[in-house]
Amino acid sequence: MGRIARVLVYVTLLAASAVTVLPLLYMVSLSLQTEAESLSASPVLVPRTPVWGNFVELFERAPFADFIVNSAVVAGAITLSHLVFDPLVGYVFAKFRFPFRDTLFVAVIATMAIPFFVKMIPLYVMMSNIGWLNTYQGLITPFLMDAFGIFLMRQFIQPIPDELIHAARVDGASEFGIYWRIVLPQVRPALAVLAVFTFVFQWNEFLWPLVATTTEDMRTIPVGLTLFSQEYFTIWNLTAAGAVLLFLPTALIFLASQKFFVRGITLTGMK
Amino acid sequence: MSHKQFSRRDVLRFAGAAAVAAPFATGCGAGAPASDAGGAFTVYWNAGHGYQAYQQVIDEFQKAHGVTVNFQKYQWPDLRTRLLADFASGTVPDVVETQGAWVQEFAVSGDALSLQDYVAKDGAAMEFPDDWLPATVARNTYQDRLYGAQMHYTCSLLLYNKEMVGDTPPSTWDELLTAARELTTGDVYGIALNQDSSYAWPWLLQNGVRFYDPSSRRTLVDRDAAVEALQFQADLAHKHKVSPVPVPSTDYAGPQKLLSAKRAAMIITGPWDLKPITESSPDLDLGIAPALRQKEQATISAGASLMVPTKAARPDLSWDFIKRVTALDVERAATREAGMLMPRKSWAGLPEVQADERTKAFADGLPYAVDYLQDLGPTGKSGEIADNLFKQLYQSVVVQNTPVTEALAVFDAAAEQALAG
Amino acid sequence: MPKRRHSGLDARYSRTAYLMLLPAIVFFVVFTYLPIGNLLTTSVHSGPQANEFAGLGNYSRAVSDPAVRHAFVITVIFAVATTVGALVLGLGLALLLDRPLRGRVAFRALLLVPYLTSVAIVGLLWRNILDPELGILNRLLDAVGLPEQQWLVTSPLATIIGVMLWQHAGYAMVLFLADLQGIPDVYHEAATIDGAGPVRRFRHVTLPLLAPTTLFVSIISVITGLQAFGQAYIITDGGPAGATDLYVFHVFNVAFEARDFGYSSALSFLLVVVILAATAVQLRYGRRGEVQY
Repeated sequence: MGRIARVLVYVTLLAASAVTVLPLLYMVSLSLQTEAESLSASPVLVPRTPVWGNFVELFERAPFADFIVNSAVVAGAITLSHLVFDPLVGYVFAKFRFPFRDTLFVAVIATMAIPFFVKMIPLYVMMSNIGWLNTYQGLITPFLMDAFGIFLMRQFIQPIPDELIHAARVDGASEFGIYWRIVLPQVRPALAVLAVFTFVFQWNEFLWPLVATTTEDMRTIPVGLTLFSQEYFTIWNLTAAGAVLLFLPTALIFLASQKFFVRGITLTGMK
Repeated sequence: MSHKQFSRRDVLRFAGAAAVAAPFATGCGAGAPASDAGGAFTVYWNAGHGYQAYQQVIDEFQKAHGVTVNFQKYQWPDLRTRLLADFASGTVPDVVETQGAWVQEFAVSGDALSLQDYVAKDGAAMEFPDDWLPATVARNTYQDRLYGAQMHYTCSLLLYNKEMVGDTPPSTWDELLTAARELTTGDVYGIALNQDSSYAWPWLLQNGVRFYDPSSRRTLVDRDAAVEALQFQADLAHKHKVSPVPVPSTDYAGPQKLLSAKRAAMIITGPWDLKPITESSPDLDLGIAPALRQKEQATISAGASLMVPTKAARPDLSWDFIKRVTALDVERAATREAGMLMPRKSWAGLPEVQADERTKAFADGLPYAVDYLQDLGPTGKSGEIADNLFKQLYQSVVVQNTPVTEALAVFDAAAEQALAG
Repeated sequence: MPKRRHSGLDARYSRTAYLMLLPAIVFFVVFTYLPIGNLLTTSVHSGPQANEFAGLGNYSRAVSDPAVRHAFVITVIFAVATTVGALVLGLGLALLLDRPLRGRVAFRALLLVPYLTSVAIVGLLWRNILDPELGILNRLLDAVGLPEQQWLVTSPLATIIGVMLWQHAGYAMVLFLADLQGIPDVYHEAATIDGAGPVRRFRHVTLPLLAPTTLFVSIISVITGLQAFGQAYIITDGGPAGATDLYVFHVFNVAFEARDFGYSSALSFLLVVVILAATAVQLRYGRRGEVQY
């Protein structure tokens, strides 16, 4: 690569990164501004003195610790559930032959076409009937697994050689043993990616926790954040502070799993 | 499992879902339902109205009745989403704070409980309706029965920067246009229009327009006056360029921020903008002028009412809660705390109202403020017509500068269908 | 592979398969197919309680409703534009990063970061940034001598398409990058020996090898685009005058603003059918020219 080309590549990448990151840094800046600065009509780029107290205020004005715990429990449980079910179901669709397999697979994949809010009212009525509103199981169960994760895991499991599986069967391994000891270890990077994306999506979910919680102490962070608004205007600095707290865990988890990202995402599986 | 009564249809409709889901319930064990029929008393509230004054009422209410109040605060759209989901499931809150024409809409749909028997009994003690501004009774009434109690009652007026506008603010459209033209220079606008369509209504009302005429079943009458008022606003932004073109958004705060930053000399708004103005620009010399006069002096009222869902478990308790929150001394405390305006006539005479220049200015506007949804509310279609269709009309004219008659044709076709359906 | 399959073993495998699938079958029936059944029932009713039987009235109304047609057209434009944008930006950035560069991992992370934020936060943030009078973006343009823009007034749809791409392009990039790095070098070397320049190598070697990822990215972004909601709900409120009235946002308002659950259910069901059809078409045409290696 020529010198000029190299410089151009760097400049382009730097510019693109600036576009993705600067708005988020502005959010951090907002989270450290005084209410006057954040409400002011001439936007403040860097607060005069950072107001760390905004983060304290979040916890004083609302049960923010509860929001964090709820978000962690709900997103965590859903992520675990995805890690249990998505690869298992993906494995069955990838490696087993049985009647109606393709029909069932299409029936599962087709659910990707359904926006969540379409199911919201029927689910709400159902949860209300069985008394699960405002409970963790009510927040968790509608998201126990999903078609996207199942599809991804099937893609990753498909290239695992059938011989490996048959050999294990001949050796007398149980079906679950094969899955657990042969299949899962092969797709570990993909599981890491599945976990990160599932967690991120659930951590940010808004509509269902909005309707399915009926007390303030059961709200998750995104729903709790709506408390930091007046009737006709957003209390910007506090909302931004909450947004920063909302964003931090997903960023940390992402950074921690960085090394899996390229290996775990290649759709054509093992090379 | 649940203590609520379900209609037979509900049961049939959702039995299937519950039957399949039920095994999970035993599987997961700790399925303790939120006990809304036990000691909890659920109140839905606007997130901006969680005043100390109301917290105190709640404390007393809890003590008096031995219940725990579950005080749930939401933004208006979120509150509505929740509430409609609740109506669909039959598990409803005990008291709901509402805005716009929700009370009448839910009266029409059968989801709001009539409070008529309660006011018949307790009205005299709470000086209802004599001590309440007539409009605050009318907007909560459907077919001669009361369904809601007004809690806050506000109106929109002309807010201006005294340094720019001087001591004699405009009082007619002509004066306003002249002033705005003089004040528009460089980065500064004479006036800033709001992107929210309800802010179009002071102008329409000043030109004598009604949203809906029940006798002829026509919308936006008289038509010529409506066209003129809409065109006037569009011209402020596009022809005279004395106002920025409003930005379509979910936010109402744009004009207030421009006023605060001294980049707009005048805005039309309600008392909710006072706090952000004071906080972001304490040095601004703020003036509050009475509503403008074209054919008549008029402005919109706004505010919040309390209602009780039909299926609420303990309506007597709900009513008691409403009585406590709307008591004069509670109103007084909320005014002291947040500068909020109230529906009682005797409130307007309170010393703290009369002594505070800003509160008094708005209090003086209340008697001639009009609920622009008043005739539309009883049709039960105000959600669709005012919030969806009129929003389109307003933005089409004022943001996009579409010819008014063209935009009106679109509005008429859709509104007719909504009213027929 | 040992070929000793007989019917007894087949039956046992089937039983095992179904046993392992059981939780999934129960889950999808309860949490997707029952609600969809419910949706279909509601869609033939009308009124605020959705309890007046309306036959297929909601469906015939949907077909002739100009507002619905408008929302649908807007949404198709949105979905196509965000898909093409994600493909171009994602592939472009991936190609830039697919070489030995210092800070490659950092760039990759920085470009993916918006994907980790919630739509609600992204919406609030951009609404604030884009305000023509008060937002920081026009301030910056002004400071560097560029003309200020009216963003959401003059080109609202393009603006929310931009916001969507800001959030999602990084995800497409990561998918492409993973795939690029999986292409064995011998392919490029062979092509170079055959005398192919960089452009021809890209067109005839790289692009065909990326076909499965391209198909995957376009299917996912078309689905995401057709289901987009937050951009209108949080940023524009569908305005001005419906210019950003995305379909799901429109349906949401039919349900929760106009409280017409019968009609909103019919509209929802139609959307699901459209998404399924769009996906099927893409699979059908996308599979051609797909190269396995």
